[in-house]
Amino acid sequence: MTTSILTPAPAPTRRRRPTERPPWEEKPTVVGQAGKGVTLIVVLLVVLVPLYSIVLTSLSTQASVNIAGGLVLVPHGITTAAYQQIFSNQLIIHSLLVSFAITAVGTAVSMVVTVLCAYGLSRKGSFGHRTILMILVVTMFFSGGIIPTFLLVSNLHGYGQYWSMILPSAVSVFNIVVMRAFFANTAQELIEAARVDGAGDWRILRSIVLPTSRAVLAVVTLFYAVGYWNSFFNALLYLPDNGMWPLQMIIYTYTLQGNTLPGTGTTAGQYVGNQHLAPLSIQMAVVTLTLIPIIIAYPFAQRHFAKGMLTGAIKG
Amino acid sequence: MSSESAQPVPHAVSRRGLLTGAAAIAGAVAAAPLLAACGSSGSKGPGTTSTGDLNKILPNYIPNTSVKPDVASVIGPHGGISDPLFLSYPSSPVKTVSKVPGSGGNYTTITPLWGSIPPSSGNAYYDAVNKALGATLKMQPSDGNNYDKILPGLFAASKLPDWIQVPGWWDSVLNFGEAVNKFVDLSPYLAGDKVKDYPNLANIPSGAWAAGVWNGKLYGLPVYPSGAVFPGTFFYRKDIFDRLGINADSIKTADDLAALGKELTNANAGQWAFDDLYGNAAGYLGQIFGFPHANASKWTTDSSGKLVHRYETEGIIDALNWEAKLVKAGYVHPDAVAANTQNGKQRFWSGKVCIVADGTGAWDGSDAKSGTAASPSYNRQAFKLITKDGSGTPTIELGNAAGMFAYLNGNLKENQVKELLSIANYLAAPYGSAEWLTVNFGAEGTDYAMQSGNPVLNDKGTKEVATTFQFLVTPVTPTTVKEGFTQVAKDYAAWQGETVKYAVKPMFYGMNVTEPAQYSSIGQPVEDTITDVKLGRKPISALQDAVKTWQSQGGNALRNFYEDVRQKYGDGRS
Amino acid sequence: MTAITEGGAPRAEEVPATAPRAQAIPKRRRLSLWTQLKRDRTLLLMTVPAVVLLIVFNYIPILGNVTAFQFYDIYVGFLHSPWVGLSNFHNLLGDRIFWHAFENTLVISAVQLILYFPIPITLALVLNSVMNTRIRSFVQSVVYLPHFFSWVLVVTIFQQMLGGAGLLNTLLRRNGLGTWAVMTDPGAFKFLVTAQAVWKEAGWGIIVFLAALAAIDQALYEAAAADGAGRWRRLWHITLPGMRGVIVLMLVLRLGNALTVGFEQMLIQRQAVGRDASEVLDTFTYYYGVINNNFSYGAAAGLFKGVLSLILILAANKMAHAFGEDGLYRK
Repeated sequence: MTTSILTPAPAPTRRRRPTERPPWEEKPTVVGQAGKGVTLIVVLLVVLVPLYSIVLTSLSTQASVNIAGGLVLVPHGITTAAYQQIFSNQLIIHSLLVSFAITAVGTAVSMVVTVLCAYGLSRKGSFGHRTILMILVVTMFFSGGIIPTFLLVSNLHGYGQYWSMILPSAVSVFNIVVMRAFFANTAQELIEAARVDGAGDWRILRSIVLPTSRAVLAVVTLFYAVGYWNSFFNALLYLPDNGMWPLQMIIYTYTLQGNTLPGTGTTAGQYVGNQHLAPLSIQMAVVTLTLIPIIIAYPFAQRHFAKGMLTGAIKG
Repeated sequence: MSSESAQPVPHAVSRRGLLTGAAAIAGAVAAAPLLAACGSSGSKGPGTTSTGDLNKILPNYIPNTSVKPDVASVIGPHGGISDPLFLSYPSSPVKTVSKVPGSGGNYTTITPLWGSIPPSSGNAYYDAVNKALGATLKMQPSDGNNYDKILPGLFAASKLPDWIQVPGWWDSVLNFGEAVNKFVDLSPYLAGDKVKDYPNLANIPSGAWAAGVWNGKLYGLPVYPSGAVFPGTFFYRKDIFDRLGINADSIKTADDLAALGKELTNANAGQWAFDDLYGNAAGYLGQIFGFPHANASKWTTDSSGKLVHRYETEGIIDALNWEAKLVKAGYVHPDAVAANTQNGKQRFWSGKVCIVADGTGAWDGSDAKSGTAASPSYNRQAFKLITKDGSGTPTIELGNAAGMFAYLNGNLKENQVKELLSIANYLAAPYGSAEWLTVNFGAEGTDYAMQSGNPVLNDKGTKEVATTFQFLVTPVTPTTVKEGFTQVAKDYAAWQGETVKYAVKPMFYGMNVTEPAQYSSIGQPVEDTITDVKLGRKPISALQDAVKTWQSQGGNALRNFYEDVRQKYGDGRS
Repeated sequence: MTAITEGGAPRAEEVPATAPRAQAIPKRRRLSLWTQLKRDRTLLLMTVPAVVLLIVFNYIPILGNVTAFQFYDIYVGFLHSPWVGLSNFHNLLGDRIFWHAFENTLVISAVQLILYFPIPITLALVLNSVMNTRIRSFVQSVVYLPHFFSWVLVVTIFQQMLGGAGLLNTLLRRNGLGTWAVMTDPGAFKFLVTAQAVWKEAGWGIIVFLAALAAIDQALYEAAAADGAGRWRRLWHITLPGMRGVIVLMLVLRLGNALTVGFEQMLIQRQAVGRDASEVLDTFTYYYGVINNNFSYGAAAGLFKGVLSLILILAANKMAHAFGEDGLYRK
């Protein structure tokens, strides 16, 4: 090997055109194809039919919903009234911005903390890494509950502050553990050779481990981003001012209107005042709106763990 | 004695006997925790109140005579008072508040909201109300379903706003008898005839304040008070009945009601007779089968005068057997059997069920609008009250006259408290006044317009106006025409007027009795067993076993506790 | 992850992870603690942000579990609430309902382990073997969506499809075939919740396994095929071993979370099937702790669950070591 270990790994093998079979794969059997086909069709149906029903209901007139008596499968009347009603709420635009900001900042913070910690714990034999790992894992099983956490955050002057949406849940031990496992499996030889060459841990992380871990980085980024985007409970507890609310809280309230969560045992129907009971179409519009950002963001992450991407090879 | 009124008033709710009755015994009783363990914290909190002191605490009732309803309240013999009916808004609404109540103060509030959140800035409705108030109330409505999750934290960390509303059904979660120490004691401002400085607050009947009295002091401002608060009743689709030739008035016994099951069920056509008629701890059937059924009501007496809990009565056994029979016969909608309460109203609107049990708030113009959208001939009516076997007079228990109260932060200075009470006076302006329109509908032309004599929100209004200020303090709830459905309002008012004649107060009515904490969850297993029995999963003997366990785990001790309360403070009904 | 040794020359590619680093560090010489610390100070520094955040926002509130040993009053606070020692635990362990909830939790967990756990893995493998990139992308971009539905919606959908008045039963009824009350059958509940969990989470769960599959060196497949290994052999000797680390990790984490089988899902369906079938540890804590202002009792139940879960994950990790895998961390 004449090039230094620390140069990035060679380019991945050329991408295959869709449906082109690599030369070493044999042709599939009919039974195999059929089995796979059936499985995939079942999976698709089971997911797509309810999804179709949800989207259709969000676009249905009240009359359609009533004929169906619930989620609509056969369209009778189409309207965008549900979406219009939601988007006409002036809080939506601001809450979208709030959600974007919290997701962006939160994911960045979380990823930095997670990558550092995962790498720091991934080298075998390093001092105290098992102890620290246990310290982290313990928090997965114990929690103080709502009241102590609230007391803590409010004593830290977090009540009514945006950081209460980020810092208390910035660290996911699950994500750290997963990332750590991937890091630990990064080619040992490369790292050893780099050490011999005099590279410190920062250099190794930056030049070897990170470039070869695109898949897990994409995955964990996705997990965090989704978590922040959908976070709701922290806003409920710490942000009394409606003007600061993220998107989830605003659109969730469209599903309330006189309805009570089963199990909470409270009925507030008579206190609804001037509100109309929420049509099912609005509730389904809320669900659809929740899905859209994810549908947009997911392909970006998926590229990184699609089959055929080489995540680092060491050619002899 | 409270509630004197020198001159006769058309409302007639001022009659002394009635109001003393309603106000008589309402007090906060928290016995010293009956802790068996060592290191008891002692009597952590509330003391006791004598009857005389209580009557001095409740604000006098000085009814407002300037606004006249179309149909006046009907006064029942045992304390029930139906809501006044207004078919249209008075064409020239009177002003009940002569000068601007606020003096430029800035206050924060937190209220629950079961509905979509209005914008917090640039909201013409908020602006209109704050302008009329002459102060700024920063409204911060929070998710109603999850309200109970934020309250304990706020209380424990003392991060309370200036004005906060607490629904009564969560008082026990918060151990409210102690929580009140964080709030302003309003007795020096409102007790007895001090309330005459605030005429609109005086317009709220004394009995409505009772559940806001804790430890002998007045803390709470009543929200949506009404003299006719019932757990609910049984509704039917009159249009379907007419189509099948069924006459609702002919239903006089529980068996009659059950017999409708066969007539009204046609599973293949997707129509079932009943939704879940027992309900979720509301015990609608308690009214028919004669056991305690109001939400806070749990005790009654047997023939020897001994206290008997709801779980121990014969009536509950009969009711559960009755419903289990219907479920087994397939007359109850499967989604109701699966406890899908979310779509309950939708099922009724589309005619998938014909008879439901629901809160009285379900019967109004908004419901009619949704219902007629689903079934053009939609017509919701309520059954007349019946008894189990048709004999005797039916009775229905009254709920507390106000289910929610709002409280002022104890850190406020005296001038601030006075400013807020002055603001409360404005917010409590009665239906028919000029102020009420502003508080409930905002600015005319901007948020609403008058249509056929009733205010109706326009598009901007539906986005901006929500139940916000109303959750801080409200005048007596009237029955009004909503969405133009005049007949519905008339029907409802007529039903209420008829029903209050049979309304009675349950034991310990209006008393804020704080039970010892260690018995707070002994009822849960019984409730779970009730669900199993009512849906036919377990036999009635399972309930009897559960009740025996309940008795030994604390039910009997609770009985002694309440017997104690009864000795000291009476039972709230006299 | 083992190298391909059968029928071919040893590969030049490195075999990551489990091979001992015997060549790198002489076994006999142990570095002193101080030297180790100095050597690894950068690594330790890197863990500081995460640890600090966890200490502040997790460990400090965990101290709130001290209420398990008190008769907690939220207005008096932790410092002044009276101490009752172990009496909360005594009551808890003597509570028949608690043990019933515990039993339910274990049973449902076991059913989910057997019926749910293999599904994301299988699905990932199936997807991975689909040649057509377009189909694969499409399925992947759809199958995870139910993860974002609330449990209320999931149960509503199931009710709509399988409920007594739902699609399936309406069809059955119209054709005179009798109805199947699957949504209200206490005996079937554990399978019902598993089916719901599969529908909601399996599609999202494949992501981690797809990432693991993507990390397998494609050249290995080529070489194995060149050596004459058929598709099943390649699966057995390359793919599965390539995923083994991640699978075992997920299994260990799952076992550690065996006592958490759901909360909202059980809450929503509690009335439909009854408490006997649906009471699990988390709903028990809710109904007997939180909503009755009995925080101490709830804290005690939570502590009990936490300690047990910790023991479970440590045991699971030890078992993983016995199978030669890293699991959560290597000894």
